[in-house]
Amino acid sequence: MHLVVCICQVPDTASVIGFADGTIDRSRVNDVINPYDEYALEEALRQKERLVGSTVTVFTAGPPSSGDILRKALAMGADRAFLVSAEPRDPWQSALLLCRAILSVYPEQLPDLLFCGKQSTDFQSGQVPSMLAELLGIASFSGALSLEATSVGVRAEREIEGGSEFAELRYPVLISAEKGLNIPRKISIKGVMEGRKKPLEVVEGSIEEPPCVILRGIVPLERKKRCSFLTDAGELVELLRHELSLSRAGEH
Amino acid sequence: MNFHSVEQENIEYMNRFLVFLEQRQGVVKQASIEAWKSVQELAARSGGAVISALLPGPADTSRLEELMGGDGVVCHADDEAFRLYTPEGYVHLVMERMAGEGCSALFFADSALARDLAPRLSVRLRASLLSGRLSLSAAGEVAGCTRHVYAASAEATFVPARPISITLLSSGSRASSAIPGGTITIKPHALCGASVDGFSQLAHRIVMRRDARDVAEAGIVVAGGRGMGSEKGFALLDELAELLGGAVGASRAAVDAGWRPHASQIGQTGKSVAPALYIACGISGAIQHLAGIGSAGMVVAINTDMHAPVFDVADYGIVGDVGQVLPRLNDAVREFLKKK
Repeated sequence: MHLVVCICQVPDTASVIGFADGTIDRSRVNDVINPYDEYALEEALRQKERLVGSTVTVFTAGPPSSGDILRKALAMGADRAFLVSAEPRDPWQSALLLCRAILSVYPEQLPDLLFCGKQSTDFQSGQVPSMLAELLGIASFSGALSLEATSVGVRAEREIEGGSEFAELRYPVLISAEKGLNIPRKISIKGVMEGRKKPLEVVEGSIEEPPCVILRGIVPLERKKRCSFLTDAGELVELLRHELSLSRAGEH
Repeated sequence: MNFHSVEQENIEYMNRFLVFLEQRQGVVKQASIEAWKSVQELAARSGGAVISALLPGPADTSRLEELMGGDGVVCHADDEAFRLYTPEGYVHLVMERMAGEGCSALFFADSALARDLAPRLSVRLRASLLSGRLSLSAAGEVAGCTRHVYAASAEATFVPARPISITLLSSGSRASSAIPGGTITIKPHALCGASVDGFSQLAHRIVMRRDARDVAEAGIVVAGGRGMGSEKGFALLDELAELLGGAVGASRAAVDAGWRPHASQIGQTGKSVAPALYIACGISGAIQHLAGIGSAGMVVAINTDMHAPVFDVADYGIVGDVGQVLPRLNDAVREFLKKK
């Protein structure tokens, strides 16, 4: 079985993100694999282990520095990786770059199962997976919480507002991974050594189509509030009089 | 391989807006009605836009006019095939509507369905896809869409670059005032064109939780973290949420410990919530958790550690053990509600 995983790099949330002149100061940012993409990769690796002879190919569309996360993916157990060297400016450009790269690697037949993270933790738009599936002309299922591969397709579950949705889809299908799908493995020293020997190919990603969405501005949010410390729960209820009244009003 | 990039340049796009109404088990979602109202308000400000709505699937429409307000036509595609969401069926339907009405803007209430469907539509329509709250210019016109990025440490404004746009309205962008009554006409949508067979769907069903209150939609959220001590410790929060008609949320630590389901996780790898009141109990307030409560109104924190970062974003704080503070709080709330 051919398995494909699309990943991207994001700033580690532990790192300090500075803002200057309406843009992001990335000088103190430490980049990591997007956490949701780790669930996607782990799921692909599990499918590979289940079906002997399967391969996992990882793609990323980003600056040359994204090579680092591809090495990590190879160390986790992926077989080969492609870096589509480009600076996509919106999710649509990302999806288009990934689509073209996948089609050039699989010109005859699409991979059976493709994985993405549900969203990236930086811009959190979560648009790339469904856009990519649409561009490839295949089925997709976003935010999978559980997944079972069968001989004809997959059974998947996702959370919807107030419940769960279950679907069975035929291959080829693109799955976007939600937290809870699995617990990603840790990278071993042996994995790192092996990962260094695996193929990592850099391809030029050119894009002529202009972006569909433009980032107009970005401003830091001042989250700090002045906290009034109380000692008594009764006092708190008095102060929350307004909010508590609203709550019950919505009930009736 | 075909790219489904349909250039529809022969259609003249007017100031026509389409609002997608989502039904779940035959009930039109409140969030969709709020989205309709926001779009009505927007149209009133920008002057003279024509608004219509699309409702896929069998649904109770008897009270729609009263609930929605404003003027417009609701196209009801009440075919059984649309009871459950399938990407291919819904894409087909929306495309037909957008082209038929010559719409330049499509609005959804942000939901699991919208997040799955809208990116596909944006590719088909070559549309700009935005999400968040509408940000307005001084003149009252839409200047773009604003939302939190980078774990809610910043707010970004995005603007469309294409003539057609699709917007997912977050729950924080509700209409500020009541919409004057108008005339809502509900007309059946007759399917034309090809069948809506999916290319891949073999089986499909949904199962609703008995307690269907979702943290992402609740007006009051009481959330617990590691400080709750155990799964049993959450009983106090269940009780408080029940009293207040709210929902119980959890930090990543509490979910990873297996005390609460993933559906209740709030934070960067969980949900973003926007309640009027958020009560954080035994939650230290790691940046990843705070990322999920950036749009909360009043924030109350209860924690043993007075230096816990959660107090930095709280309006009111009580330093103490949740096991002792919560029973007193629950009693006080009960008293308050009794008096009311």
